[in-house]
Amino acid sequence: MTRNLPDHHRLLLNALNNPASVVEYKIPDWELLLRLVRRVKLLGFLAAELERRDLLDKIPVRAANQLRSGLIRAKKLQQLAHWELNRIASALKDTPVPMIVLKGAAYALAKLPSAEGRYFVDLDIMVPKESLDQVEALLLKKGWRHRDISAYDERYYRAWSHEIPALIHRERETEIDIHHTIAPVTSRVKIDTCHLFDDAMTPSHTNYKILCPVDMVLHCAVNLFQNNELADDLRDLLDLHGSLAVFGNEDPGFWRKLIERANQLCLGKPLFYGIQFSRLVFQTPVPGNVENELNEKPSIFSRSIMHFLVPPALFPLHPDKPSKYARLARFLLYLRSHWIRMPLHLLLPHLAYKCYLMVVPGKTVAKELGR
Amino acid sequence: MIVEQVPVERFVSLLSEQGLRVKLGPFNVQIRTKLLQLASQLYPLYANYELVEDEIAEFHVQVLPKHSVRRPFASFVRFLIDGQSPFPSFPSDQALAVLEWGINLAVAVRTNHLLLFHSAVVERNDGAMLLPAWPGSGKTTLCTALVHRGYRLFSDEFGLMDPQLGDFLPVPRLMPLKNQSIGVIRNYLPEAVLGDEIFNTQKGTVAHVRPPKESIQRAGETAKAKWIVFPKWVANAPLKLEPLPQSEAFLLLASNSFNYGMLGETSFKAVTQLVRTCRCYKLVYSDFDRVIAALNELTDDT
Amino acid sequence: MSSKTSWRSVNFSSLHIEEWNGEYTVFHPESGKTHFLNQMGFQILVDLHSRPLSAISVDEICQNLMNQFQLQSDTTFSDQVSKTLHRFDELGLIEQVK
Repeated sequence: MTRNLPDHHRLLLNALNNPASVVEYKIPDWELLLRLVRRVKLLGFLAAELERRDLLDKIPVRAANQLRSGLIRAKKLQQLAHWELNRIASALKDTPVPMIVLKGAAYALAKLPSAEGRYFVDLDIMVPKESLDQVEALLLKKGWRHRDISAYDERYYRAWSHEIPALIHRERETEIDIHHTIAPVTSRVKIDTCHLFDDAMTPSHTNYKILCPVDMVLHCAVNLFQNNELADDLRDLLDLHGSLAVFGNEDPGFWRKLIERANQLCLGKPLFYGIQFSRLVFQTPVPGNVENELNEKPSIFSRSIMHFLVPPALFPLHPDKPSKYARLARFLLYLRSHWIRMPLHLLLPHLAYKCYLMVVPGKTVAKELGR
Repeated sequence: MIVEQVPVERFVSLLSEQGLRVKLGPFNVQIRTKLLQLASQLYPLYANYELVEDEIAEFHVQVLPKHSVRRPFASFVRFLIDGQSPFPSFPSDQALAVLEWGINLAVAVRTNHLLLFHSAVVERNDGAMLLPAWPGSGKTTLCTALVHRGYRLFSDEFGLMDPQLGDFLPVPRLMPLKNQSIGVIRNYLPEAVLGDEIFNTQKGTVAHVRPPKESIQRAGETAKAKWIVFPKWVANAPLKLEPLPQSEAFLLLASNSFNYGMLGETSFKAVTQLVRTCRCYKLVYSDFDRVIAALNELTDDT
Repeated sequence: MSSKTSWRSVNFSSLHIEEWNGEYTVFHPESGKTHFLNQMGFQILVDLHSRPLSAISVDEICQNLMNQFQLQSDTTFSDQVSKTLHRFDELGLIEQVK
């Protein structure tokens, strides 16, 4: 893999796969690395990796200061997400609704290595579909509000997506996304969510439920290869790599269970890509060709297209000289993500609306800058 | 080497090609632009900044012309940091203001290893004086006057505090005077070096004051804060300098910080320590001579 | 709101407290927020903390405060205290017990 990568991708990947090697980086390498690692939302992650190895004092002080700043921000976002979880639990304490914590906050509860230094932009939870209205109503009563969104987006969320419009407490900053399943309801994949709730687990020292290891991995793969446009999503692939590596190491039966679960939930395709690209990019230790045992696999044709498109999208563009090929790959994957998520009769009007938004731009948000 | 030692042609070519790399206090910034008008404004105003060699530049910014489909004959510029644009484009004659504002924004949102107060900071007799205030209270104007009358400029905008050591770090940047303040400063300080007036910005007319050379040369010298003064300019008001209760100073400082919440316990402890060790005042003024005399008296009494 | 509602302290010992001539700045690590309290607001937290195992009713809290600050009983005072308690609950400094 690394042989075919452009120089700036190799610089970044090397730092992520082998953090200790950055002590050898020269000044121009550092400058580029910091800009790239910021773009893929991994500044805090790299900082945590270096801090754990006591290396922040052994690199140029300017780089260390930027990394420390990123780590402080990551820790703050995590603290806010945990506090939001505490407040939700407090608001729902008299309501017997099963609630599962998803994504970043769940990785932190599971103590996965990629969670330290990870930026939590929002908090994702899942409740059964039949409790959704009740939970939403209760939170609205206790000080949460819907984030400002257009009526179009609201309809999209409620009818075609797998969450309700994000909620945010009037006095706090963390957005909550409340899901009722782990794949979009419009997608061709239908998941029986009972399994997810039945097998959820409570990590020691917490009162919160998270998905069991195999479901957590599947959700991560679905998110990456079904819900997303993949642009700059290297962070999510790193989450997948981290969870595969940890769970595979802890439980010898993990891989067998993972394949069975993917087959049971009809999530073979996203898992197939997840395993392939995690191994390709991060050398995840995967036994044999375990992904070949999946019932549903992408066609050879799809695989070879994805092989060319995914890496240039996952890795950040060069900040000074972005490649046209990488931009094209990103655009094609953007179309793909919508194609997978929605039936065609919904997709075309949706893309037309998004295109209209691009032509008539709204305000640009400055918060992106902070990462 | 400082900018004024570089011939103007070289300065322009640095800006338009590999980037001009300058030291702005604790930060190194690489600036790229092909806009000649911006280059010619920057050359005199950045004259005293040191060029960066063999050091990392934390911020990579760019000002680009932008062509608008909707207004093909108007001329706009875009500010980019690391190739991305954090805010919409502006008319090109505002390029300098946009550049300065963009760098401030980048510092404000990316810096968490330091506690950032929204405050002017000046130094006299080895002590830093914080002048925190809300926009429109005249802190930049007062700061400009002070730094031309014997005070060393740390910043008119950022109080950068190392929360572990308790030291303040100078970051002497251009000081943007707004509206009437421009004329007021031209009258009071004919020696001050001002950039072109930039009209119709979000804050009205803006003109940038070049920091005194000595403040830039000594930008590596930190200081502990000794005085916290919350200033307010009120037309024709008699001078008033009164002690401020510490709890109020705490509240005002914390709510005037860019990243108080981000640093959590660290900032709680740092602000506590700061307020306990400083003398805190509120100040109402209208006349420069009187306010400078009063602050001189305050900072002489150590 | 019923005066039967009781309250108890949540993790008081985690708070960082600084006193400024009868006013208090309180840092609450879990929420990451700094709160500004006057003497009476602070006293409510202290009273609740002093009985960590049992919840205290609003009436009892009012009685304690009236004794300590030598106040006369009146209904607006009890309303004020009740409001403060609900606010503290919302901030996660204390919790309601039913």
